[in-house]
Amino acid sequence: MVDLSTILAGFADAFTIWNLAFVLFGVVVGQFVGAVPGIGPVMAMAIAIPFTFGLDPLPAIAFLVGVNKGGLVGGAVPAVLMNTPGTPDAAATAMDGYPLARDGKPLKATKMALFSSVTGDSFSDLVLITVSAPLAILALRMGPVEVFALMVFAFSVLSGLIGNSLIKGIIAAALGLLCASVGTDPENYTPRLIFGMFDFYDGLPLASVAIGTLAIAEILRRLTQMSGQVKPAVEVKDTGNPQDMRVSWAEYWACRFTMLRGAMIGTVLGALPGIGSTAAAFMSYASAKSASKDPGSFGKGNLHGIAAAESANSAVVGSNLIPLLTLGIPGSVGAALIISAFMIHGIQPGPLLFQDQGRLIYGLFGAMIMANFLNLWVGQVGLRFWVKVVSAPESIIFASALLLCIVGVSMATGGIFGVIVMLVFAGIGYLMSSFGYSVVIFIIAFFLGPRFEISLSQSLALMNGDWTRIIEYPIALLLLLVSIISIWWFLRRSGPDTTKSSQVTAED
Amino acid sequence: MKINADRASGLFFLLFGLALYLFIIPTFVEQVEGGWVHPDTVPNAVAIVLSLCGALLMLRPTKHHTQEASEFVRAGLYFGLLMVGLVLMGRFGFIYVAPMIALAIMLLIGERRPFWLVCGVVGMPGAIWLLVVQVLDRALP
Repeated sequence: MVDLSTILAGFADAFTIWNLAFVLFGVVVGQFVGAVPGIGPVMAMAIAIPFTFGLDPLPAIAFLVGVNKGGLVGGAVPAVLMNTPGTPDAAATAMDGYPLARDGKPLKATKMALFSSVTGDSFSDLVLITVSAPLAILALRMGPVEVFALMVFAFSVLSGLIGNSLIKGIIAAALGLLCASVGTDPENYTPRLIFGMFDFYDGLPLASVAIGTLAIAEILRRLTQMSGQVKPAVEVKDTGNPQDMRVSWAEYWACRFTMLRGAMIGTVLGALPGIGSTAAAFMSYASAKSASKDPGSFGKGNLHGIAAAESANSAVVGSNLIPLLTLGIPGSVGAALIISAFMIHGIQPGPLLFQDQGRLIYGLFGAMIMANFLNLWVGQVGLRFWVKVVSAPESIIFASALLLCIVGVSMATGGIFGVIVMLVFAGIGYLMSSFGYSVVIFIIAFFLGPRFEISLSQSLALMNGDWTRIIEYPIALLLLLVSIISIWWFLRRSGPDTTKSSQVTAED
Repeated sequence: MKINADRASGLFFLLFGLALYLFIIPTFVEQVEGGWVHPDTVPNAVAIVLSLCGALLMLRPTKHHTQEASEFVRAGLYFGLLMVGLVLMGRFGFIYVAPMIALAIMLLIGERRPFWLVCGVVGMPGAIWLLVVQVLDRALP
């Protein structure tokens, strides 16, 4: 499918100074924003996408991957220092990181988080590089009927797994599909739901919807939770003992099995759409605790706890790209943003990517590997600096993020109209989060909407409009049956009044 | 004031779905003969799903509570501020309006320290201008 020369050329592209500079820049930005509570890599990616328009696809996507990977490392810093995770994935890290920081060992905790994160991330990247091309060959054997059934399956699983209610998940997916249907329909090219505004003829602008619902809505949520008080700077205790400021090789090596287990859990869960890195981190933490000879020490500053959480949540990043690159289906909001970057640069994600854009994909793999090394290097150098970053006032961070979003969307959509659409979707995203509807499912359904409609149309054409002919497509039939079973199972599991009251945020 | 929001949002989606199916889609989606999937097929299906799920949510609500009403008011305030800012930006341009938006947001958050106010009002818009206009050679809104 992809010959060796293409693979080598792709890796060579990744290792050019220009591309490495963008990976490095992405990692630095990612670690920086990850260290700032309230911003996080997803918001940073959403803001950064419009600024990558002028770039070639590889540096642009490599930069975004760098932001994503760096953000996960940076997210551990406020988790450890303030018990306030910069990203939801780092919540499990705080359980052991914060007690260590209170004991005067903040650098030991953040360095353990860094090493575990890079270890888990590298493991999942190797799995991604190894399995994605063979899986893409399998995916190419799938026709429109199977693709349609696969999307139904993805929606049903995502609706059940993300958020606290299957019904709300289905409503969020339906809203995403409704927004995706604005503009010309893919079969007849007839304008629909444009309400006389010809700016909507090509559909709702991707950047406006993504940045509005993911970034601005989250900023609004954070702003409304602040009660006119600017948070004080964090006081970091330091024992002055050099042993408390570094992780020795013996300490790292003692955590090898914990990290391996975490990396495997993260890789498997990351490859499944909808589960996400937060679940992986907590599952890995729980399994490390249950496997430990001293489970009582977990939650009191055990390095194994940090290793388990960070290796798992970082391993999700690489394997998240498996369904995206092989099937064109994003499994998380981070992957959905990467898919939007692909589309903005005129590249259609899916199994044909390896055939049509093999060099770009292997360039991306090379960039991911380099991002891991750079994460380690930047983390080693920058951790002391990121520790200071968490004390930056939220007032300037949120004001700056809002201005960047406005400028970014204006650049992406070519005017203030797209920015107003962004603000409208910020309101929608804020209300969805407030009422417990998953913004993640909404965004993924919005991205997949046009492809969903095309595959539905092609499926009906293939079956001559007769749905009983679905039995001629056993894989599609199986996927649809599994979808029905999973909906039934999720409905049974989430009976009335059994779910917790919780906020669904942009990064759930 | 804590409220169980699911019945309210369920009712909203039930009515919204019905409005879509009965009024909005017939009015704003052209009817086309031929083809396997008509322009209104997916929107109609979505409208039905929204209505059904809205009704189901009213019958099987979760324990989800919305935040305090005062937070919605504050969100409305920030939303209104941004909307006014965007309208003004469309008229007068980013250079003049962005510092005012930044100042208003920082003051609303509670920032009073002159150094950080100057950073947000002058430094950040200036840095954005430098990046977008000078480095990327693109136009500001």
